[in-house]
Amino acid sequence: MLPDRIDPKPPKHIYRWDLDKTYLQSEFDTFRQLMRSAFQRASDKVAVPGAAALIRELRARGDSKLFILSGSPKQMRGVLEAKLRLDGVEWDELVLKDNVRNLLRGRFRALRGQLGYKLVALLESRARTPLQSDEILFGDDAEADAFIYSLYADLIAGRVGQDALRKIVGAAELYKDETERLFQALRNTSRADPVRRIFIHLDRLTPPASFSNFGPRVVPIFNYFQAALVLLADGVLTAPQVLRVAAEMVQTAGYNLLMLSNSFQDLLRRGLPLDKVASSLTEALDTPESLLSALRPVPDIVSAFSKRLAALGTPPSPPPAVAIDYLALLEHARPRSSRHVDPLAE
Amino acid sequence: MVCGYADLMGGSITIAFDVMGSDHGPMEVVRGAAHLSLEAPHIHALLVGRRGAIDEALAQVRHNGERISVHHAPDFVEMGEKPMEGLSAKPMSSIAVAARLVAEGEADALVAPGNTGAAILAAAQSFKLIPGVRRAALAAVYPTRARHGTKLDPFSLILDVGATLEATPEDLVTFAVMGSTYARIISRNPKPSVALLSNGTEPNKGPANVVEAHRRLNGMKELQFIGNVEGVGIPLGSADVVVCDGFVGNVCLKMLEGVHETVVELARYAYRSKLTWRVGLAMLSSGIRQVQAVTDWQQYGGAPVLGFDRVLIKAHGRSRARAIANAGKVAAKAVAADLPRAIAEGLRS
Repeated sequence: MLPDRIDPKPPKHIYRWDLDKTYLQSEFDTFRQLMRSAFQRASDKVAVPGAAALIRELRARGDSKLFILSGSPKQMRGVLEAKLRLDGVEWDELVLKDNVRNLLRGRFRALRGQLGYKLVALLESRARTPLQSDEILFGDDAEADAFIYSLYADLIAGRVGQDALRKIVGAAELYKDETERLFQALRNTSRADPVRRIFIHLDRLTPPASFSNFGPRVVPIFNYFQAALVLLADGVLTAPQVLRVAAEMVQTAGYNLLMLSNSFQDLLRRGLPLDKVASSLTEALDTPESLLSALRPVPDIVSAFSKRLAALGTPPSPPPAVAIDYLALLEHARPRSSRHVDPLAE
Repeated sequence: MVCGYADLMGGSITIAFDVMGSDHGPMEVVRGAAHLSLEAPHIHALLVGRRGAIDEALAQVRHNGERISVHHAPDFVEMGEKPMEGLSAKPMSSIAVAARLVAEGEADALVAPGNTGAAILAAAQSFKLIPGVRRAALAAVYPTRARHGTKLDPFSLILDVGATLEATPEDLVTFAVMGSTYARIISRNPKPSVALLSNGTEPNKGPANVVEAHRRLNGMKELQFIGNVEGVGIPLGSADVVVCDGFVGNVCLKMLEGVHETVVELARYAYRSKLTWRVGLAMLSSGIRQVQAVTDWQQYGGAPVLGFDRVLIKAHGRSRARAIANAGKVAAKAVAADLPRAIAEGLRS
């Protein structure tokens, strides 16, 4: 006898994406840019090269959910949804910030601050997520994504306790109701350790080493080909899928073999275990798939990647796991303009 | 859509940087290449040297990882080492490896801020001389009173300044053609004036090789040869390109550097000595800064080594990041204009 209802299979993967500077090439550092971005049409908005292709490939197996969490105001929902549809991106949840409410209530810290808003939204979403789903998160270096995503991962895994969280939110000067909602969401979330990777798109070209205090789970990336390579090594994507991401970047954004092979070597130099990735890509390049024709001729590609690998001599060892000191790293969670700027990094 | 190999390379120019051996260690060279990766999308930097040191330096600076790659070289020739001995003992030195990578086509040009002799020798071992060139020449830019070319550069070019100690008349003629071609392409000077350095402006003044070179250059209508200039004509900028042998050129260059340092020291002395002089200098300070800015050698990047079939820019050992980045831009410009081919054509005509 058939059961009364058949529940859909729980998603194997949850992909959480930020929008501005992670998925979209957004400029809002000045008031003029902010205004232009606010009134842009969907067709004028430009995605970061490879981002749409990567999402499509991640979603291709049908065993995942896409949760988009953006600091953009709720009033932009229409145009953002239209842009995602234009790019062929299918999402399950799109959460936007209620900045009009913040403005009306005079909560000016909350207008620019992301910690209270995003951490609560992530935890509330996690509470609705099946326990067995693992998570891969995508953010950028313009705001506090590395900090917030890492804290989220460690909170649900129980590595950061309530006392430590209280100190962090106190130092971050969250509003009282934000703090209460945060703790409520944490109480509603089951303990699990699902976050596999946190990718930080280096929109501002922050030196990748600036994120080393967040441990090897956080992978800063110059482009989405790099994310695809890491996901291939992690077994999330297949080699043909990675090549399809690369093909889109070559065809639509002017990427070339040098940029792709340099990106590959950049990850190797940071100790990411990609030595087997090159052979998987080589095998995939031999398949007669029409989309990959953008990446011919094959021998040149194989040679470029092999040379970048050989040029390093002994591959560096993977970065060590570290205990994250969130209070010390709180600087990463503050709005950009109030942060200390390292003169060497400029 | 099917892309060919050239499309896949996207018209990029790769510059190999010898990261080791400069006075400031790897940091400044890496910073220079990092600047370049942010400023010049068509230029890729291939950093050659100890991978650990390069990655440590890269970790501290903003850069675009898509435009930088690293080639590990375990050794390097130090500033004080004898070039021949250093290169023989260290075949995997950064300068030797970088020169080989350029020769093999992995990079289009080489920027070397380390040991000058080792850079030229490594190039001689890996590159070929352009047909018609017997010896390569090291060319240096120096500030002048007169402005030159369409960009009104306050610089002239002098060569050779040390690659070849003694030059035959043929060598001097070759240097004249190479210097003229370089000034035409890099300084955008369509018809650069060329002069021989001598102890008098008359054609028969100077050693035999200079007198003979003068005679031959006089017959070359494609060059704008203006005759001899004396030493005083160098800082005045009497010619866009001044030709001499490496011994004389090196002495002149070091003297110009010494005069510059002496003037700076005298100004410091004046500043310390009298309040009225200090006030006077303070009033002149913005003008002095402007003069410093237009005559700053770091703006120009480096000295080209001319005569090889590959582009080699010798950056100053004291180069800071900006000078290294500018050396990379000059190298890329020379590659884009195919300087070696232009020199070969100049020598044929």
